Amino acid sequence: MLKIFDFFAHSKSESVWMAHFCTGCCSLEMAAAMGPRYDWERYGYLPTPSPRQADVLVITGLITKKVLPALLRTYQQMPEPKYVLALGACSFDGGPYNDSLAVVKNPTEILPADVFVAGCPPTPEAIISGLEQIKQKIKDGIPSAASEGGLYKEMKF
Amino acid sequence: MDDLKNIFSLFDTEYITEYKTSWLKVKLSFSSNLLDVAQMLQKNGLRTISTISPTDFIDENKIEMNYFFEDLVTKRNCWLKCDIPRELKHCKIESLSNLFKGALWHEREAYSMFGVKFLNHPDLRPIILSQDYYNKFPFRKDFDWQEHEKNSVENMNLIVESFQEEEHLSENKLDPNSSEMILNWGPTHPASGPIRLKVHCDGEDILGIDPDIGFVWRALEHLVTQKDFVGAIVAVERLCFMDNINSMVCYAQAVEEIAEIEITEFAKWMRVLLGEVGRISSHMMGMGGFYNAMGLHTVAMWNMDMRELFLDFLESYSGARIATASVEAGGVRYGLAPEMLEELQKALDKFDATKEDIKNIFINNPTMKMRAAKLGILTQDEVQEYALCGVVARASGVKTDIRIDEPYAAYDQIELEYVTQKGGSAKDRLFQLFEEIEQSVSIIKQAKKHIEQKIEEGEFNPTKDYMVKMPKKLPKGEAIARVEWARGEVLMHLVTQEKAKSPYRLKMKAPSFNHTMMVEHLLKGETLSDIPLVFGSLYICQGDLDR
Repeated sequence: MLKIFDFFAHSKSESVWMAHFCTGCCSLEMAAAMGPRYDWERYGYLPTPSPRQADVLVITGLITKKVLPALLRTYQQMPEPKYVLALGACSFDGGPYNDSLAVVKNPTEILPADVFVAGCPPTPEAIISGLEQIKQKIKDGIPSAASEGGLYKEMKF
Repeated sequence: MDDLKNIFSLFDTEYITEYKTSWLKVKLSFSSNLLDVAQMLQKNGLRTISTISPTDFIDENKIEMNYFFEDLVTKRNCWLKCDIPRELKHCKIESLSNLFKGALWHEREAYSMFGVKFLNHPDLRPIILSQDYYNKFPFRKDFDWQEHEKNSVENMNLIVESFQEEEHLSENKLDPNSSEMILNWGPTHPASGPIRLKVHCDGEDILGIDPDIGFVWRALEHLVTQKDFVGAIVAVERLCFMDNINSMVCYAQAVEEIAEIEITEFAKWMRVLLGEVGRISSHMMGMGGFYNAMGLHTVAMWNMDMRELFLDFLESYSGARIATASVEAGGVRYGLAPEMLEELQKALDKFDATKEDIKNIFINNPTMKMRAAKLGILTQDEVQEYALCGVVARASGVKTDIRIDEPYAAYDQIELEYVTQKGGSAKDRLFQLFEEIEQSVSIIKQAKKHIEQKIEEGEFNPTKDYMVKMPKKLPKGEAIARVEWARGEVLMHLVTQEKAKSPYRLKMKAPSFNHTMMVEHLLKGETLSDIPLVFGSLYICQGDLDR
């Protein structure tokens, strides 16, 4: 019985699709990771236009106040199990926009991320290695961080 | 210039001075004269308003309005100023958007940020701001951001509620007997980026579009005032990451002008070199975006492959692929080593090897031509009226290029001609992108050759004279700087106070703002399937749209 569950987890982890929702500058390096030099499709990642088919939501750096409800809605529309990858300094504490008061400075407190990739913007290699960590998390059967808690559960959006 | 001066002799002015090579700087004594002046300027050929920039002088209890009029044909420009009272009740001025359609959104922006009320404006709704800042005018110097931020939970709820209310209201407004409906295109559409187009449509036909922008509003213009002059480049380069170098060049020029510092010849050539690399990497993404919108991803992949090599050069130069922060006031941040130019040579070789293939397969592509040749056509008149610039303007045949009109850095020593197309359609904008990449490559080759030659002759010392010393504090003053950015004209208006450590006001005019205004104009009457293509061809980046 255990073996079958392992098989499911393995299958899930090897084709991680990402919801195509870009809100910040880091999406440019994500585009580079999709490109021919880094080519993340080798590892089974694929951007999908609809959140309904997605397994992972990428917080591409900056989240402004206006885009936060849209981000949470996108997350809500994704089927379980779903994971969150946070890119860049902005998703941690606002990064270079820390003094700007139009930017949400704690997006990962609102929507907890499973893996946080540092950099401004993180390099494509770092993004792929972050996704590999998510892959490992799925294989190990660890529940996603956002399912354990997060401010978004108390929020309207 | 003299005919412009004659116009102003009819009105009361505080001063009339010539500024730079092509500008006339005038301050009107009374703001009530503005409409008449604007009318006469328009008759004299200054048909374009580049941007409108209010500056809040809280100590003098006034708001100074800055209007930047341009003539894209004869290259005469006018910088018009006038004062208006600061109290909200009296903070009013006549709207120019009935004369200059390009001013429509700029006036809305000035209203949202500073509370300047424009009389007789057709549609004075707040723009860019998130809903919690409506009617609070956050760029006024006495607005307390920290206080506002204390109620962050209420603010978030307000944003959600007003969004839902707006959805509800606009649904209710529809005629129940018609088949009209509202479709939200974006912000999660893969081709849109963070922008929402509210598309009113009847079946496939588009009846009207109302763009909702501000999803990446970072208040950069406010952010720079909280940083010092060097730290501000971090904010300035994030205007848009696709081509961040030229925006830094623009900011650096404005600071240098106030500090009255001349940079070294080597730094000027480096700015050309880096700027063109930035332009190429942006244009390659732009071409990819255009074809992605049509459903073909190959060209994006090919271009990305070439672009990586240009980014390798930036990485070898500055250590970062994109966020280079490599241009600052006083020159460029790093010296140059020979192996960096070798990296650049690799990129140029790759482009030369791939160029013909791209041309044969994607530029002379019959399917693309059938699809895009009749879509999104912009005439020369519209370009001037709506203050369009850069790729979009030149694709319609308007000869405008700041690198030639008002040469900065070392562009006056470079062989450079206007590259234009005739049709002004989506297809022409793709052609324009490709031809501009070719042009940029030729500029890079010239610059590279010149730098190498001068280093050999011993005139340039690449490890030493890349930077001159800048003072930490700047005198009181103001300056404008313009550069030809990848997407078009960037105009920065910098104001400093006495012994300034940080900018008092930095207005950044970025091209996508005007181009997004055209979305409705171009798509009315077309079908839903044309939205991605026209939007992609306008070469819009949300970063510089919202700032």
